[in-house]
Amino acid sequence: MTTHDHGKYLPYLGFGLGLRVEHYETLLQDAGHVEWLEIISENYMVPGGRPLAWLEKFRERFPLVMHGVSLSIGSTDPLDEGYLQRLAALARHIEPQWVSDHLCWTGAHGVNLHDLMPMPYTEEAIAHVVERVQRVQDALGRRILLENVSSYITYAQSQLTEWEFLAEIAERADCLILLDINNIHVSAHNHGFSPLDYLAGIPGKRVQQFHLAGHEHGDQLLIDTHDAPVIGPVWDLYEEAVRRFGPVSTMIERDDHIPPLAELMTELEHARKLALPLLKAAA
Amino acid sequence: MSSLAQIQQHVLQAVLADTVTAPGALKGDDRATAGTRLAIYHHAYRARLREALAIEYPGLALMAGKSFATLAAGYIEAHPSGHYNIRWHGAGLAAFLDYGLPWRERPALGDMARLDWAISTVFDAVDEPALLAQDLASLAPEDWATLQLHPQDKLQILVTPYNVAAFRKAADLGQARPRLRRHRQPVSLLIWRDGMEVRYRALDTDELAVLEAAIAGANFTELCDRLGQFHGQEQAPARMVQLLQGWLAGGLLRTHT
Repeated sequence: MTTHDHGKYLPYLGFGLGLRVEHYETLLQDAGHVEWLEIISENYMVPGGRPLAWLEKFRERFPLVMHGVSLSIGSTDPLDEGYLQRLAALARHIEPQWVSDHLCWTGAHGVNLHDLMPMPYTEEAIAHVVERVQRVQDALGRRILLENVSSYITYAQSQLTEWEFLAEIAERADCLILLDINNIHVSAHNHGFSPLDYLAGIPGKRVQQFHLAGHEHGDQLLIDTHDAPVIGPVWDLYEEAVRRFGPVSTMIERDDHIPPLAELMTELEHARKLALPLLKAAA
Repeated sequence: MSSLAQIQQHVLQAVLADTVTAPGALKGDDRATAGTRLAIYHHAYRARLREALAIEYPGLALMAGKSFATLAAGYIEAHPSGHYNIRWHGAGLAAFLDYGLPWRERPALGDMARLDWAISTVFDAVDEPALLAQDLASLAPEDWATLQLHPQDKLQILVTPYNVAAFRKAADLGQARPRLRRHRQPVSLLIWRDGMEVRYRALDTDELAVLEAAIAGANFTELCDRLGQFHGQEQAPARMVQLLQGWLAGGLLRTHT
């Protein structure tokens, strides 16, 4: 199945997982119903050795997508051309279904914060990001996906909602969207907006992938840790997203406290059980 | 400077600052103040770098014990990260330990960091096709004299008087902290990759000499001559064959392209 009906011309991959070292051997022995894998791009942007040897094995068995954390598309530092070249080389080598990163900045003035810093939602920031997305897409020879990040800070200068900002960039840069359903839930709590308003403001034809993950409760704010199971309200929001956006490739993203593969497969199966009846009903 | 650049500069400086003070670019609300919100990023920056250092430097973490947290915090404050890959933030740690107080008074720490870092960088260094015993089997007898052996480019040799290898081994196996020892003579540790496996071991003095000569481009005759200085010319070929067998078995030599 492809998502031509969304005008995206990228395949619908079904239900997948983020590839983690802890699951390498188990996944190759028995992948269960894992239909595709997302790799962290930077983990394989290396000269050689074991990471690339493992990657070859997974490449033979699964459709892969690349997900980066260091593009820093929103930074006012120049784009890191060395990074971009390595990213493009990896993409040429493994031929992923698509390449994604985050709508954020990770550093400035040569310092990297190794965090997904949210952008101020301003016209100036939109113009800045759009121009850079277009340059990245030219360098990669393909459209990229931008993911919404969880955020805690609020910029005094922001003039738009987060979803207006994301939607406008996607339209003007002609890029696609990776919606992290957990991140919408976390940011909605932290900033006091409705997650349903967020979904309603996203152009459906540009949504190519969903992330599902867990988070922690801080004293006042939700902290996006991606280290816990998906919670009920996030599953509810996922169902709403499926109703709204139709068949979108979905994966469980666990970044820390990595559980046995079987646990993530159970979560993935839950996503499948929620989504498939909704997709069938809509068909 | 653009407004966006100014905002990013102010937030960056606030994250790097010793104490949490929200810049005017940020605002709070009923749920949380701007400072509370900023503090999440302030804490996460240090926690991520500290975790990355612990992953790259398991031997050092074991050797430094409780001091590791202080050591890591000092390095993080002194060295903001500049590379997109968090792992490379740790590239300067050995130099920091060699020259910064109070760490330079414990020189084993710098050597420990160098071994950990060598293992880390050899791990995913470029693949080099290994020279196999059968590649040499077809060599004509008259060609052996001028044969050049090519040790893999990624191998590293670390000279240290301390038993740093014992710490790394204990860390990898989850064993108890060994006792720090200082050898009478410095030990040369060879760090290389055998296929996908990173290995390290001490080099005998004669092996170090011929390995360095091989790296410098000496041919088989010259390597045997070098061994002759240790064992006499009669015993040298037998020792050379022994070393060569070990190098081939360990995947230390690369094919010449």
